[in-house]
Amino acid sequence: MSSEPNAYSSHPPRMRETTMLDKVIANGGVMSIALFFVVCCFFFAVTTDAFLTAPNLLNIIRQSAPLLIVAAAMTFVITTGGIDLSVGSVLALTATLSAAALQAGIPWPLAIILMLALGGVVGLIQGYFIAYEKIPAFIVTLAGLSVIRGFALLITGGYSIPIEPTSPFVTIGRAWVLGIPAPALIAIVVLLAAYVVFNETHFGRYVTGVGANAEATRRAGVNTRRVILWVYILSGTAAAAAGVILSARLGSGSSNAGQGFELDVIAAVVLGGTSLFGGRGSLVGTILGALTVAVLANGLILSHLSPFFTPIVTGFIILVAIWLNFRLFKGGAKGR
Amino acid sequence: MTDTQISRVRMTGISKRYGALQSLDNASLNLMPGEVLGLVGDNGAGKSTISKVLSGAVIPDSGTIEIDGRPVSFTSPAEARAARIEMVYQDLALCDTIDVAGNLFLGREPKRHIAGVPMLDKKLMHERARDMLSNLGIVIPDTWMKVENLSGGQRQSIAIGRAASFDPSVLIMDEPTAALAVAEVEAVLELIRTVSRRGVSVILITHRLQDLFLVCDRIQVMYEGRNVAERRIEDTNIEDVVNLIVGRKFAARSAGHQASHNQAGHTQERGASA
Repeated sequence: MSSEPNAYSSHPPRMRETTMLDKVIANGGVMSIALFFVVCCFFFAVTTDAFLTAPNLLNIIRQSAPLLIVAAAMTFVITTGGIDLSVGSVLALTATLSAAALQAGIPWPLAIILMLALGGVVGLIQGYFIAYEKIPAFIVTLAGLSVIRGFALLITGGYSIPIEPTSPFVTIGRAWVLGIPAPALIAIVVLLAAYVVFNETHFGRYVTGVGANAEATRRAGVNTRRVILWVYILSGTAAAAAGVILSARLGSGSSNAGQGFELDVIAAVVLGGTSLFGGRGSLVGTILGALTVAVLANGLILSHLSPFFTPIVTGFIILVAIWLNFRLFKGGAKGR
Repeated sequence: MTDTQISRVRMTGISKRYGALQSLDNASLNLMPGEVLGLVGDNGAGKSTISKVLSGAVIPDSGTIEIDGRPVSFTSPAEARAARIEMVYQDLALCDTIDVAGNLFLGREPKRHIAGVPMLDKKLMHERARDMLSNLGIVIPDTWMKVENLSGGQRQSIAIGRAASFDPSVLIMDEPTAALAVAEVEAVLELIRTVSRRGVSVILITHRLQDLFLVCDRIQVMYEGRNVAERRIEDTNIEDVVNLIVGRKFAARSAGHQASHNQAGHTQERGASA
């Protein structure tokens, strides 16, 4: 029994530097969606001829550009512990108003700036009620969803407003630059910017801080209300950009555009491992989540299956991916 | 103790009433530079309230506060912080999903500019965090670890280290050793000693009376919003302090003068560690 003193001194330290495996487990949300993304791509690549071709892949990004852009902004919103249900309505309003503005003879660059500003103002108003009046984000943006869609319907009387196909405006949705569709290019730029802001700037850090412990972040001298206000301005502006891109691609502005769009966006963000409780967000996860939703929709059509399978499959994947996060990855992280 | 020295903190005649409850009744507090003062009392005795008055979170109804001989009146925690009074909150005020360095620097992250855009200087932040922690003797293997993966004692150390890094002259700690494992309590107490050796005055609020005898120079006992007793640590023992807290002070006062061997042991321990 001479080993008794050694029982205290000789065992290796229990804390160690983070290993690769730790990082994989810690980023479980991203890992599980990456898995689903790869599986989906592999499945459609094998079962269909057309899926794994450059035009089709570019087409997927082109079509999912609005989703990717708004999901990037929504990642900020959800990481603060909030939610923005109004993005689909903002998309519809800006899509119709940009068509109306062009019809009224407003030059297209001005029309775009006006639309982005409108989205920002909508976000500002909602953000004010959430950040400064402390009304739950769900309530404020649920009201926004209804009111803003209502305005879009009121303005158009429910009809679509066409856009002149000769207008340079439509190039935003249709042009190809350096072999890449313009919407895809815009989405890539937005995603890169969002990634840098989220991970490398003070603002991004405070977004995570607000979601993790708002009181602690406030005590650290951060103006947390302004951070919250800004995430809604961001999501409103992003939704407006999505509306502009959508109307430019379709060549018309419809007040019925983007019905249920907010749910697709939230699904993409949550699939990517961002926690609805806040404090935990991943833009890489969001990109993978949005692309998975887009690949599913595209692949199911290419497989000659009914497109109505898309919501069914998407729903199942959300459930299984989140379940995997809780059971496999998070369980590993907490069980140490 | 040199009586000629100016007190770091002198609070006199502090009263605070919350509706029907007289939370503080003509309470006072004196703290010398580099001194560790243990503030004890039952729940509701007013020890948290008086520390909140000092940290600017509670505005007293009456009374005066002097810092280094100058009268001050705080109307917000920010003003108290400007006077270099830091408080480590009981709920730690850490962000679980942010790494160790990020928590230490929350709200004052070092900047670097890339193409004119201000960004987090993570490299500098982690370098400084490592220095900061090793200077205080806090053992954290990796400043990139998220705080949620740390033990209670490590989290407490980060919270204290964060407060200490603001170069405070007074550090108030509310129950820093509550709910910690035995070995972790020792680490946190060692950290308190390290901080006080640097000339920081510490106010330690705790229910763990044995901790008082390991780090404190002096103990102030509060009872129903009033100061009821003050003891140099070498003149008292746990029994005495317990009696003072529960209010049987007359029966116990004589016990304070009997030098029990238990008390001598504590004094020695302190002498060895200081």
